[in-house]
Amino acid sequence: MAFNPLEQRGIPVEEQFRSWSELSVEPLDKLGDPYTRCRVILMNGIEVESILFAHQFARATDDLDIRRALALGRRIDQQQRAVVNNLNPGDQSPLETTIGYEQVAVDLTAWLARNEPDPALKQALDFALLEDFDHLYRYANLYELIDGRDAAELTDSLTEIMPGRPTVVEHRHPYDDVRPHYDTHTVDPLSRLHVMTIVAAEQQTMNYYLNHSAELVEPVARDLYVEISHIEEQHVTHYESLIDPLDSWFEQLVFHKYDEVYLYWSMLQQEADPRLKRIWELHLEMEIGQLHVACDLLRRYQGVEPEEILPPELPEVPLTFETNKEYVRSVLAEQVDLRADGTGYRPLDELPDDHRYFAFQGIVNEGGTPSEAVVDEIRVVDGRDFRDEVEGPHPVAGLRA
Amino acid sequence: MTILVPTKATGATAKTAEMTYVEPAQQVTDDELAAALPDAGLDMAFVADFLSAALTHERCGRHLYRSVAARTNNPVLKRRYEELGQETERHAEILEDLIAGMGGNPSYVSPAARGVEGADTKLVESTSLLGGSLDVTTREMVMLQAVFLAESLDHAHWQTIAELADHLPDGDLKDRWARAVGEVGPEEDEHLEWARETMGKMVMLQAASGTMAAVGAKAEELVETVRGWFS
Repeated sequence: MAFNPLEQRGIPVEEQFRSWSELSVEPLDKLGDPYTRCRVILMNGIEVESILFAHQFARATDDLDIRRALALGRRIDQQQRAVVNNLNPGDQSPLETTIGYEQVAVDLTAWLARNEPDPALKQALDFALLEDFDHLYRYANLYELIDGRDAAELTDSLTEIMPGRPTVVEHRHPYDDVRPHYDTHTVDPLSRLHVMTIVAAEQQTMNYYLNHSAELVEPVARDLYVEISHIEEQHVTHYESLIDPLDSWFEQLVFHKYDEVYLYWSMLQQEADPRLKRIWELHLEMEIGQLHVACDLLRRYQGVEPEEILPPELPEVPLTFETNKEYVRSVLAEQVDLRADGTGYRPLDELPDDHRYFAFQGIVNEGGTPSEAVVDEIRVVDGRDFRDEVEGPHPVAGLRA
Repeated sequence: MTILVPTKATGATAKTAEMTYVEPAQQVTDDELAAALPDAGLDMAFVADFLSAALTHERCGRHLYRSVAARTNNPVLKRRYEELGQETERHAEILEDLIAGMGGNPSYVSPAARGVEGADTKLVESTSLLGGSLDVTTREMVMLQAVFLAESLDHAHWQTIAELADHLPDGDLKDRWARAVGEVGPEEDEHLEWARETMGKMVMLQAASGTMAAVGAKAEELVETVRGWFS
């Protein structure tokens, strides 16, 4: 059924503040539905992006009314974020949460790519998908190495664990992370939502890894987090460069709020846990209220009616966390050797020997690479690496166990 | 109904550029742009780009007028902004008809149009984002200056459209352009002259008034004073 948030009242922003006791939520069971954990991780990242964007916007204006509107929305976002993030259980270690982050990265990116109407944006998603897929494999090996645990208990084998495009080869010169952007007038509304969503998810992942690397004890773990956090920085650069900078501050604010509405609506459609369902529903109603505020600002200060820039309804299909094993395997088989070259991509064997990629690889990988070391170590300990290959042997012969 | 923001749903098209990617179904090339328009002895792809920029400026002008009409404290200015906004939307409609009548797509957004939109977006933002460091009367002046700047480019666009029309071969196309210029040109003269004159009046009103210049005047008093301007 068509859902147009502009036709919904939502909860007025003045009624959205909650008490500390209301913000105190019971955490999830860490061995519960992995995709509920994914939804929690994603929506935490979405709220973080919303808050950071509103801070950036506030720094570009000294208008009291605009700053106050942004401050109000940010504080509410902070409360929403607190509720969502504290659903993560305290007995879930940072490494276990990390495996959740990578399951998000794989199944979110794959789902977006499968549903992306624009072939160039789909290519951007496919490209980074294989890199995040490899991160899951590296962290799963670290999990077995330092905790002696099976990462498939966390992923429930909904997402396969095996090498992707090896992390060691993912490091590229920063110039090769910058892509052309979509055009804000011609872009499909769904594509805009996809890009905004993946930017927020990757940004949160980047920050999470570097924030937590210093809390780890084992050198191999600390080093792996540092290495992969740099790939996540590459991914943020890669994805954020897809966004058209032509949009005004007020339009960007409306698009942020619209994306939040779409995502809470999506989470609500697929959540099985009634307690979580109530949270998603509440936050959906809150975001609709916040969207109305953003639209009022757009009207007043930009003279633009929100209907002029927003689609008449949300996408029919909610963003869905579901297994993407077959899709990931197909992309792996076709694109594992792809590399970034300027603003595009090229197979490895087509890169000239003097390409800056090789020089950059030489700099960062000199003296060893943590993502290789972790697998080398577990092979020494267990005589094999850790994998969860549910659908058969690896689709790339050179990456089989 | 006039399209004020071209989107995929309205049939928006664009050209790819070094850093602008356009979904294949929405892409258009210079050859396609030129082929869609009648041969008028001009570089018709360039003409399409220029008309797109002129149309975009009218569309952004409509947004500017809506915004300043909603925020001015002066009822005379508010009424005038609303009138000029409606006329500006009518100008956008005339340009849309002109482009469509030639076989072009009014939802085509050229690189030149992107440039114009980028400037216009910042222009309308300039009337609000620094509002906290401006007093009530200065905010009124900033909004009027934005109108003046927007009308200046608008005026120049229509002068250029008139010059292009002179180069067209005699016939239906030239007649259509001439009719458009004949209808819009005098209004553009009037818009620009009004903005220029009103800016001058606003300056003189403030320069001649001791109360207006008083440091520390209360915001409410300034609003009352602004409300009484031109009455």
